[in-house]
Amino acid sequence: MVWIISQPLFLKIMMISMRQKLILIPNLILLFGTIILELKKYPVFDFTSLPWIGAVIFLSFVIDNLLRKYRSSADLYLFPLVMFFLSIGLIMIDRLKPSLFIPQLRWALCGMATFMAVLYLAKQIALLKNYQYIIGLCSLLCLCSTLFFGTDIGGNRNWILLGPFSVQPSEFAKIMIIIFLAAYLTDHKNVLALPSNKFLLLRLPPLRFIAPLVVIWGMAVLMFVIQHDLGSALLFFGIAILMTYMATGNKSYVFLALIFFGLSSTISYFLFSHVRVRIAIWLHPWTDPTGQAYQIVQSLFAFGSGGILGSGFSSGYPFLIPEVHTDFIFSAIAEEFGLVGSIFLILGYLTLFYRGINIALHCKNEMNMLLASGLAASLALQVFIILAGVTKLLPLTGITLPFISYGGSSMVSSFIIIGLLFALSTKENNNA
Amino acid sequence: MHDRKMKKYIYNVTVLLFSLFLILIGYITYLQSFESPNLANNPLNRRAMEMEKHIQRGMILDCNGEKIAYSKKNEQGTFSRIYPLRDITASISGYVGEKIGNVGIEGYANTDLVGMNSPLARFGPLKQLFNKDRGNNVKLTIDTNIQKVAYDALGNQKGAIVILNAKTGAVLAMVSKPSFDPNTIDQHWDQLRSDSSSPLLNRASQGLYPPGSILKTMIADAALKENVTTTKEIFYCPGFLKIDDTYTLYESDNEVHGKINLQEALNESCNVTFATLALRLGEAKLADTFDRFGFRKTFDNEIDEPQIPLPEFKKLSDGEIAQVGIGQSTVLVTPLRMALLASAFINHGTIMKPYLIDEILSPDGFVLKKTVTEKWLEATTAQSADTIESFMKSVVKQGTATRAAVSGIDVAGKTGTAENSSGDSHAWFIGSATLPSQDIAFAIIVENGDFGGLAAAPIAKRIITNIVHTEEVTQ
Repeated sequence: MVWIISQPLFLKIMMISMRQKLILIPNLILLFGTIILELKKYPVFDFTSLPWIGAVIFLSFVIDNLLRKYRSSADLYLFPLVMFFLSIGLIMIDRLKPSLFIPQLRWALCGMATFMAVLYLAKQIALLKNYQYIIGLCSLLCLCSTLFFGTDIGGNRNWILLGPFSVQPSEFAKIMIIIFLAAYLTDHKNVLALPSNKFLLLRLPPLRFIAPLVVIWGMAVLMFVIQHDLGSALLFFGIAILMTYMATGNKSYVFLALIFFGLSSTISYFLFSHVRVRIAIWLHPWTDPTGQAYQIVQSLFAFGSGGILGSGFSSGYPFLIPEVHTDFIFSAIAEEFGLVGSIFLILGYLTLFYRGINIALHCKNEMNMLLASGLAASLALQVFIILAGVTKLLPLTGITLPFISYGGSSMVSSFIIIGLLFALSTKENNNA
Repeated sequence: MHDRKMKKYIYNVTVLLFSLFLILIGYITYLQSFESPNLANNPLNRRAMEMEKHIQRGMILDCNGEKIAYSKKNEQGTFSRIYPLRDITASISGYVGEKIGNVGIEGYANTDLVGMNSPLARFGPLKQLFNKDRGNNVKLTIDTNIQKVAYDALGNQKGAIVILNAKTGAVLAMVSKPSFDPNTIDQHWDQLRSDSSSPLLNRASQGLYPPGSILKTMIADAALKENVTTTKEIFYCPGFLKIDDTYTLYESDNEVHGKINLQEALNESCNVTFATLALRLGEAKLADTFDRFGFRKTFDNEIDEPQIPLPEFKKLSDGEIAQVGIGQSTVLVTPLRMALLASAFINHGTIMKPYLIDEILSPDGFVLKKTVTEKWLEATTAQSADTIESFMKSVVKQGTATRAAVSGIDVAGKTGTAENSSGDSHAWFIGSATLPSQDIAFAIIVENGDFGGLAAAPIAKRIITNIVHTEEVTQ
């Protein structure tokens, strides 16, 4: 018996069968989570969400099977991992804002469909390179549209109303900028890496080559100052720096960016009162815990009250945090699942990031490598920024926790990122 | 090869992001473990209050299971707190105040009443398995029958009554007047708080009054115990006591008691005799006496008490020492403390620790906690206590407290008429009675009621008669 178990072949078979069953875990989470919440409503049950839950579970099995059948060379851990976040997000939305549960289930279906669409179009990824400037321009238009036509939802003016939907263009601009940077940086890598100009102590290439970067940084600052969207600003800024560094290895850009960041944030601190308020809340939340710092203080209470083991699913009091179902959903998870749950979730995101980097490192083509690592880094950075925000490690920012926070734009764009990563992990693309 | 280099840069970025996450994990670990108790118990954290909203608060019961406070579910699903005896038990139960906080037993036993003192509280989700939607019941030592009798007996006068079981320390009744209706406390809060007659003050355990002559029982005990006199000694009372050139102490109403022994001095409440005894005892022995009777010792339980302000004995002049001997000076006491003093004499020198909470019961009636009666102090010798008790019986029989006498029942007592700055003297009566069911000790004060023998002693008679009558009927 022991002999059989210790055989490499046996282990391999076990691994494969485990991988096949991996998709069960998120679906069981979704199922048990909703059952718990339904039982709590006893004696009045609400079955309206049932067909949608069924559809999500069914679609996830179909996709998982299709992937294993037609993309067996790709990273098959990616999809179950994402479904894990998705199921946690869904049961938390059901818990925190039942009225948004069905809409979020619908967004989940949209996301999964988008994921499949991206895979279907994946062969064309290589072509994106040819349209880099158009994509770059599009992303700028996306961002500018919010600057001019932005609507204020929850304090952030980064929404565009399109008929019945409100869209966050920055979620999609983010992907376009990553694609643009990946293409642009691979094309101009050599120029950028071998700087000719000396500027102070920094060695920089001619201005026209770094102009796109400066434009992105400038947009990021504008987003913060005009739209009060610190989260996206930090994210765009960070993506631009990280991708430039990954492409060129030139630390001068990092320094330049930090100087730029320091200057612009100091100037906006003195020019704009809302920036000062943000910083004051971050540094001294306990001077006004019931006023402006209410949200972050309530979030800290949620973390503290959760303790190590948490209060148990649906037994905490996350409602005390305003807008808990979007930006602060992680605080609710930390309260109800405790330190154990929050660390598990963070490790989950780290695993996703690790798989992303792993995909990047296996890419044969430089642009794909940069694209994959840019996508993976953007996910990691986004998770870090929002988690650091709700824990007061950084000033509070209003961005979503991918796959978990409520919202269609975030859901669809996150699935696009995963779709692109998955496509890049297939052998055909690796060799392209 | 460029490829290699890029992989190295990607690796560097990976390390950077991983370290950021490591910092984040470290910080969240700090928040949810080390900082967790502080955040969870922060007064601004409303979770405990929210939790309580969904719990049917336990009942407060008297010693016979009579409801003093209970919660009823409204149509909206919230709970309202009902105090069926309203103002009669308000000073004991206290109240549940949404904005003003919980006071009295409602405050002290809050964790029991909401059932949140479960040992599983720190076991995370596990505790949900054992969660109850009902808090525990608190059973008090109060007998609402006696409480009602005492409440009625005080009538419309301001004052307080404390009745104890002398053998156990159980508080049987604790009346404070004027009182308030705890059912409507939230609506009337501002008015009650600013009311100059202080209805929110529980006078029985928190009201500070000069003791006046009732303190003479303690001085008599001290004098016997310290051998500064005997029961045989004859004192001469000319109606005044010249202490020094500047101060002479007079009998009230300029009475002259002439030649009297200690028992007669207590009967007549002779100021000259007790001032003399206080001077013989001196500051050190007086201070020691106050210590023996526990004036510097706290209860450390549900009984809410202010600090008892004692004079600085070392700094007292002879005149002030003489004043202490007749219960004036700067000595202030609570009615509860005086009931304890009386209990020492009927209980052969022992004072039991007073308590209000008898049992904590689960909603199903299981006893979760039971208060063990506890000897609080060995205040004096059995011999001395018995002597004073017999003197106090004679006070009721033929002294200033004849209006407290109840036929067929041994009643002992001492009256007091305490001068104070608020107007007429406060009328005091403390004492004990041997009822068929139990030995009780009591203290009665009628604010500005003037003579203790006239204003307070009859109240004792009424209470004792009523209790005995009720006991006979129920038997």
